[in-house]
Amino acid sequence: MVVIDRENCKGCGRCVAACPKKCLALGETLNAMGIKSVEYKGEGCISCGMCFYNCPEPYALKVEK
Amino acid sequence: MATIEQKGMYKVFPRSGKNVSFTHYCPGCGHGIINKLIAEACAELGLQDRTIFVDPVGCGVFTYYYWDAAHISAAHGRASAAATGVCRARPDAVTIAYQGDGDLGAIGFNNAFQAASRGEKFGCIFVNNSLYGMTGGQMAPTTLDGETTTTTPFGRDPALTGHPLHVCEVFAQLQAPVYIARVSVADTRRIMQAKKAIRKVFEIQRDGKGYALLEILAPCPTNFKMDPLKAADFCMNEMEREFPLGVFRDEEAREPLAARPVPRASSCRDLFVEKDAVLPAVDDAAFAEKRFKFAGYGGQGILSLGLCVAEAARLERRHTLWFPSYGPEQRGGSANCSVVVSGTPIGSPTVEHPDVLVCMNQPAYERFAGDVKRGGTVIVDETVPVKTDPPDGVRLIRWPAIKMAEEFGVPKAANTMMLAALKKFKCTGLSDDNLEKSLVASFKKKPALGEKNRELLRLAEAREHS
Repeated sequence: MVVIDRENCKGCGRCVAACPKKCLALGETLNAMGIKSVEYKGEGCISCGMCFYNCPEPYALKVEK
Repeated sequence: MATIEQKGMYKVFPRSGKNVSFTHYCPGCGHGIINKLIAEACAELGLQDRTIFVDPVGCGVFTYYYWDAAHISAAHGRASAAATGVCRARPDAVTIAYQGDGDLGAIGFNNAFQAASRGEKFGCIFVNNSLYGMTGGQMAPTTLDGETTTTTPFGRDPALTGHPLHVCEVFAQLQAPVYIARVSVADTRRIMQAKKAIRKVFEIQRDGKGYALLEILAPCPTNFKMDPLKAADFCMNEMEREFPLGVFRDEEAREPLAARPVPRASSCRDLFVEKDAVLPAVDDAAFAEKRFKFAGYGGQGILSLGLCVAEAARLERRHTLWFPSYGPEQRGGSANCSVVVSGTPIGSPTVEHPDVLVCMNQPAYERFAGDVKRGGTVIVDETVPVKTDPPDGVRLIRWPAIKMAEEFGVPKAANTMMLAALKKFKCTGLSDDNLEKSLVASFKKKPALGEKNRELLRLAEAREHS
């Protein structure tokens, strides 16, 4: 399952495009930086890690198996 | 199964006085993806304690905040030069230079290329985003034909600025590199290839195989003026057309590099100093410091004459320095040298106001005679027209050095004739014996000439002088 740290997300959307199960989306609410950060839709994650490797930020998300 | 999360990076980055856990990179930047892969490879291979990163100037400048290993920051373009020093000083280290395309491809190209040619034992990770990112998106050597940047607002025109530089292809002409490849981080499949290639660069360094270059095509959404996904598309489509991905060299099976020979610590001494005659100077505050200037044109033996006086001082265990000054030509240009002889350690080898000036030609006299100290001496060859007197209180000796050397049938010995004058008129404060010894020693490769010069020295000294 993908675990997101919203405060470290810059909202670039690369993970959203990379997710094979389309279970990520940019949210509507702003984080402290004022960025619409990514959110997990709550289901569908197969823990493939594609979001992690496409994300330019080290700590915006991680994938628990 | 293990969690997929970042390895090999610090948990917080103390940038700009704040502790944060996000990077300085723009949203969607290729650097961020590459930085993560590098940290992961370094950690997964257990190399963090052996790795020294050489950080660039450019967008990658802050990598020392991120990767948990040793770092050195190089000046712009000099990461490969600094990495050369690091890998030679620490041959067991895993040395990784991280450079961008402005840094490596433009200002630092020669440093990087020569390091590759020497087969230095480091890995160079070269991030190509086709422009100068940090400074605001100017054209780099890697900018595509027609690509718009702030300095190519109508698109890069090859007629004006040439075509893009293919760094991997150029480096692949060299023999030494072990591994040269180009990968990309534009999409998942490419990122996975890049992950393997980065790991390989570390493995090659871990095993001491030699130089590796990994070029990574990276999107720069900000300066492409595109959203992150379009920037990745540009990277995949436009950039890859110009810079095809692939492996240009893979000789990972090579034997590890042999240890570089270390220059022997004593080699300079062996080359330049007679081993049996090196006695250190002895402090003697009672010895009055003497400063000499010898001047003429190159080929008159000006520098040798100065060296001879310095050598006599060394034989006498005085502190001494010899400091030559000459043009690019070996013969015929103006030449001079300064010699300082002292009873105490010498601060500066330059001589602005000599006690003794020896002039072998007119320009030398005109340039330096006015600088001689009161109470000092100017010895000038008789052939030089003395149009202006030296300063008050300076003794002028006109001495037929060139004429005597010709009379003796050894025109090249005019400098020895000048040494005779220094000796005859007691200008040096050094013993006659040491002056003669140093003269003979200066011909140590031609001992017969040394004896001949000693004879000429004595003949010249015996000459009457009015």
